[in-house]
Amino acid sequence: MMTRARPSPIAWLVAPAALLFVLFFVLPFGVMAVMSFYSGNPVTNPNAFATTRHYERFIFDTAGIYHDALWATLRIGLITTIVSLLIGYPLAHWMARMQSRLGHALVLMAVIAPMLTGIVVRTFAWMTILQDKGVINTLLIQWGFADKPLPLMYNEFGTVVALVHIYVPFMVLTLTGVIGRIDERLEQAARSLGAGRLRAFAEVTLPLSLPGILAGSLLVFALSISAYVTPSLMGGTNVLTLPMLIAQQVGTSFNPNFAGALGVVLLLVSLAIVIAYNRILARLSGEQGMA
Amino acid sequence: MSARQKAMVNKHPFDAGRAAYLALNTLLLTFLLAPIAIVLVFALNPTPYISFPPVGVSLRWFEKFFAGTEFMNALWLSLWIAGVVLVLSVLIGGACALALARGNLPGRSSLTAFFMSPLMLPAILTGLALFQAYLLSGIGRPVWGLILAHTLVAVPYVIRTTLAVLHNFDRRIEEAAAVLGASPARVFFEVTLPLIRPGVFAGGVFAFIVSFDQFPVSLFLVVPKGETLPVVLFNYMKFDLDGAIAAASMVSILLALSVVLVLERLIGLKAYVKL
Amino acid sequence: MISRHMISRRTALRTGAGLAAVAAVGAPSILHAQTKTLKITTWGGKWGEVMKATVLPAFEKEFKCTVSADQAFPFVPKLQASSKTDPIYDVLHTNSNEQWNSLTEGLVMAKITAKEVPNVADVYPYAVSDKIVGVTIFTSAIGLGYRTDKGLAKPTSWKDLADPKLAGARGGYIIPVNSLGQCHLMMLGKVYGKGLTDLDAAYKALEALKPIKLVDFTGQMEKMLLSGEVSMGVIHDSGVYRYDGPNMQPVDFASPSEGVLALEQVLNVTPGSKVKELAFAYIDYMLRPDVQKLLAEAVWYSPANTKVKLDAKYDAKLLTTPAKVATLIQPDWKWYNARKEDIDARVTKILKG
Repeated sequence: MMTRARPSPIAWLVAPAALLFVLFFVLPFGVMAVMSFYSGNPVTNPNAFATTRHYERFIFDTAGIYHDALWATLRIGLITTIVSLLIGYPLAHWMARMQSRLGHALVLMAVIAPMLTGIVVRTFAWMTILQDKGVINTLLIQWGFADKPLPLMYNEFGTVVALVHIYVPFMVLTLTGVIGRIDERLEQAARSLGAGRLRAFAEVTLPLSLPGILAGSLLVFALSISAYVTPSLMGGTNVLTLPMLIAQQVGTSFNPNFAGALGVVLLLVSLAIVIAYNRILARLSGEQGMA
Repeated sequence: MSARQKAMVNKHPFDAGRAAYLALNTLLLTFLLAPIAIVLVFALNPTPYISFPPVGVSLRWFEKFFAGTEFMNALWLSLWIAGVVLVLSVLIGGACALALARGNLPGRSSLTAFFMSPLMLPAILTGLALFQAYLLSGIGRPVWGLILAHTLVAVPYVIRTTLAVLHNFDRRIEEAAAVLGASPARVFFEVTLPLIRPGVFAGGVFAFIVSFDQFPVSLFLVVPKGETLPVVLFNYMKFDLDGAIAAASMVSILLALSVVLVLERLIGLKAYVKL
Repeated sequence: MISRHMISRRTALRTGAGLAAVAAVGAPSILHAQTKTLKITTWGGKWGEVMKATVLPAFEKEFKCTVSADQAFPFVPKLQASSKTDPIYDVLHTNSNEQWNSLTEGLVMAKITAKEVPNVADVYPYAVSDKIVGVTIFTSAIGLGYRTDKGLAKPTSWKDLADPKLAGARGGYIIPVNSLGQCHLMMLGKVYGKGLTDLDAAYKALEALKPIKLVDFTGQMEKMLLSGEVSMGVIHDSGVYRYDGPNMQPVDFASPSEGVLALEQVLNVTPGSKVKELAFAYIDYMLRPDVQKLLAEAVWYSPANTKVKLDAKYDAKLLTTPAKVATLIQPDWKWYNARKEDIDARVTKILKG
């Protein structure tokens, strides 16, 4: 148990990251956050004045779409995270426990390949699979399992599928290291004491892999609530998330001030969730929480 | 057969449970790889639009890709930028993770959340914010600006994975080495570093991929003739949706996979399993 | 406002100094520093290919400059963020709606006449009408694309899109992000109501079009039609005709009787540009009949210059006579942009289902 001692010299290693973040993150976003309180760009536009109307626009939501967008964002993020975990854990476990170096390398390639397809092409691949004339529907109808195409695209389902596909590799790679470090002999000890394979897993390996689960879930959640290219291409207008709104405001409404305000809202909400998540789970699993 | 190989053979008895486990994982792998198989089919399909079922096999899209200097230049640019970002983020992120895990910093959990924040913001905002900042400060849009922007979004991954490994770390090994007379520096380089290497490697792989596949941030920060591959592909696709982007995608997958494979050989993710 | 005379002299001096420097040292870097750079924006795809391969190098050679062409869309946010006295672009190439947006922010010039760009004297009236900010160099016609193999009659009216038989097999756009979608909305107001500005009628008609598949940009609509995912969709003529050739599919374009909307390619110059004369020369160059013919035939755009003679197969389908051009309807983008936020919110609610 570490007592709250004075910072050790190792603490200085945080300096490069801190410098990078202050210069390239805090300052630019600070500027953007300030601009979210203006009607225009005060540097290039002498007519810009200070206002809270961007925030009012979101909070009062007379248009009726902004609050929905926030909930949609969080909902899609949550579902994506859970599904990614369910898919990613078995794969990570398999990879971590694999004996052959070749097999391990092959599975690693297979897991990483989706991340490398490129955001654009990957979405079009999913379109081919999920759309009405796509692979799944064509096969389902041909084999008689359905008489009309299932709506698998241009809705939340398609968006979640595509997002999960992108983020499972992140989950797997985060989990596989942690699972790999869990000594297999601990499981074997439990088995030799009479526990079945599943029970040994559930009571030994699973709890020990909790830090990885937390790290992976946080990562995927953070990523999925900031995604906008994939939901735009996969969701039609059925899906409108806050990042999509932000992208629209920047790219077609040319209102970077409102976009900045939405960004601030998104960041605050996400940080609140992340910090709460961390605290709750730290308490639940004693000192095992990822502090 | 060596004793070790014998032990390996006996480790996983093949029964119904094991079969189910393997079947599940194979199914999940299929989910991951299906879209890539589709991309390959597009890349070889002669029609200039994406459809199923495919009508034939043709190499015209690969020819178009290799003949066009724009795609190739963008590919090489993306690759070397990703390489630089990999090195930078591993150094910066690895150091940061060590500081967070071992340095007894005040407000550790808030700091960790802070370092994760670039992930939570839509990258289009990051791109715009940096673009505005670069223009305001007169930096313009040099390549190093793009590289540092990528590093910013890549560092959180390295921090995450390294922290995860550091957490399960048995400090007594380091203490043992120190007791045996090793200096702190030596303990670090010969004991700690090799043991956290797999976590750092995983983070490095992320960093490479995140940079290589980075789109929204690059969108604002690239200059004409200095566009990265995702930007070129997206803008191509807006006007011409044909197999060329599928061919480009296949080539970049293969190249990036080779890089990852080389890294794996050199550094070894497999080292995870030991100890 | 600096007079053209002074600019010419400065140009001559600079070019002269540049040539002298080259003669003296001959280093390529010095030559590069002395030639002017024109920063433009351009589309990608086939258009971008033709520009980079043929049009831009020829321009660079004739005008002894370097052209730096940004292909990374979107362009207006970047222009917005750059300073007005040192804009990131000299020439902005966008559709008409974005030019109007840019004008509101003072990012582009309000009017360009034949004085700055001589070839403006030869263009159709629509190219420099009061609905246009800048100079139109090409246009397309927004109408209905449809599959000829689904037993559909060639559509004659915009109302044909609402045919119940087409439920779930028709295509439209995500209106907040796509100008064809915005044009379509306004057209619904005209066809079902009192005119292009009758939003209430338009919203009602939009509701009646559900279920409809919505996409972000025209490329996706083209693919939906080609793969049969939709049987009819809102699209511009270029998006259907450009697939002419060995991969021709049973897709055709119909110009509804109520009229087709104009999707203009508009060029404009930024007020803060340091190479205005060169920028005007570029626009003039893009209006030259030979350049117009090359690009029009590459991507099936209708040229704005009346003096362009296209090959027969292009001439038949594109808008190359005053009569055909008269069918073009130019929306009032100033009016639309002022209401865009409200319209975006409203249509999002309607189409979310």
